Amino acid sequence: MNKVNVNKLIRFFTLVLFIGTLTAFMIPQNQKKGAKWVIPEKYKKMENPYKGNKRDLKLGRMLYSKYCKSCHGSKGLGDGSKALQLKTLPGNFSTAEFQAYTDGEMYYMTAVGRDEMKGYSKKIPDEENIWAIISYLRTLKK
Amino acid sequence: MKKLILNFLLIFFILSTGFAQESPKEKKKDKPVNFPWDSELLIDNQTTLSPPAKTLECIIQHRFGLVNQKGISDLYGIYAPGTNIRIGINYTLVKNLTIGYGLTKKNMYNDFQAKWVILEQTNSDHIPVAVALFGDFAIDGRSNTAFGTNYKFNNRYSYFSQLIVSRKFSDWLSLEFTGSFTHYNMVASTNNHDNIGVGMNGQIKFSPQSSIIFQYDIPLKIQGISEQSDFTANNAAKANFAFGYQVETSGHSFQIYFTTADGILPQDIYMNNYNDWTKGDFMLGFTITRLWNF
Repeated sequence: MNKVNVNKLIRFFTLVLFIGTLTAFMIPQNQKKGAKWVIPEKYKKMENPYKGNKRDLKLGRMLYSKYCKSCHGSKGLGDGSKALQLKTLPGNFSTAEFQAYTDGEMYYMTAVGRDEMKGYSKKIPDEENIWAIISYLRTLKK
Repeated sequence: MKKLILNFLLIFFILSTGFAQESPKEKKKDKPVNFPWDSELLIDNQTTLSPPAKTLECIIQHRFGLVNQKGISDLYGIYAPGTNIRIGINYTLVKNLTIGYGLTKKNMYNDFQAKWVILEQTNSDHIPVAVALFGDFAIDGRSNTAFGTNYKFNNRYSYFSQLIVSRKFSDWLSLEFTGSFTHYNMVASTNNHDNIGVGMNGQIKFSPQSSIIFQYDIPLKIQGISEQSDFTANNAAKANFAFGYQVETSGHSFQIYFTTADGILPQDIYMNNYNDWTKGDFMLGFTITRLWNF
């Protein structure tokens, strides 16, 4: 292989690397942070009636793994396998900002939902199961 | 055979009393146990799980060829001819009542199914088991010539009815026992029109989304209901044993397994399976289900 061809090859791979790096940074930038949740007053005041129930916590872990993990990630960091396909950032459950939501507000987000965060009340018709997920979300706090 | 059934029932009883779903201290409103099964299907069998009302389910079931026929030359059945596939849809009309329709490659079956979950196991063990009834009516869609000279359309009909009793013993173990009756309007002269069968199926979860699954379906050889003078000969269908791995998400269930019968419809399995798992007659199969809620 002569010197000219080697230079061409290096230039080509540099270009591929440049475009690849650019694309990698562009994908997350296309995702928007979700707008502020508008949650009805009656939900804000709701309390988790199963708080502290160990069995429900275990159930919540199982349900989270089944219904939430693919977008929100195994530790709730918003890095699930489907996260990059979403238009909206899935959020980070470990942050103080998220954990500041009341139980009722989390219930509304999970059961009723909005846009890409579809409500799970049809797939999870039992209220206790939704609360079990909320209990588990509390454990993701850093 | 009687001993086998009695042993099954004994194990079921012992396990039922051995594992409690709730300790007495955890008083709760009595509700059906959560997720007794990960899917409505367990390899070839139905479970006592019914999706929420107004759920549409699409099912794809596939069988490759036998692993022990040509070995590496057909990649242990992957490239074998004569594989079987079924595509079907189910819809849950109201809570615990599901109807379905499917098309199967083998015998060009059209099948119509219904499942009714009569009882659900409860957390308090007030109802210790779940009970379901399953029925399947199929029409063999092959050419008229496949049915001999005295052809009638109803020669194509076959029926399957099954009682399923299941219990979730713990978060990781669910078992079910089945009793079934199969009828074919037309069979070969050496076979019977009717068959009674029993089965035992299970799911062992080892992570929130993954489990080991198995089934054992036994067509009983009951001389009393046989039309043949020597029903214990080779004309009797053989047991269908399968084991595999299941992974589920909120909308999908994926099962990959080794199974014995090339049939997919239960009546075909109980009536026409001549593969013998004790001689290594296994084939690779998989099932994919997808749920949509309306």
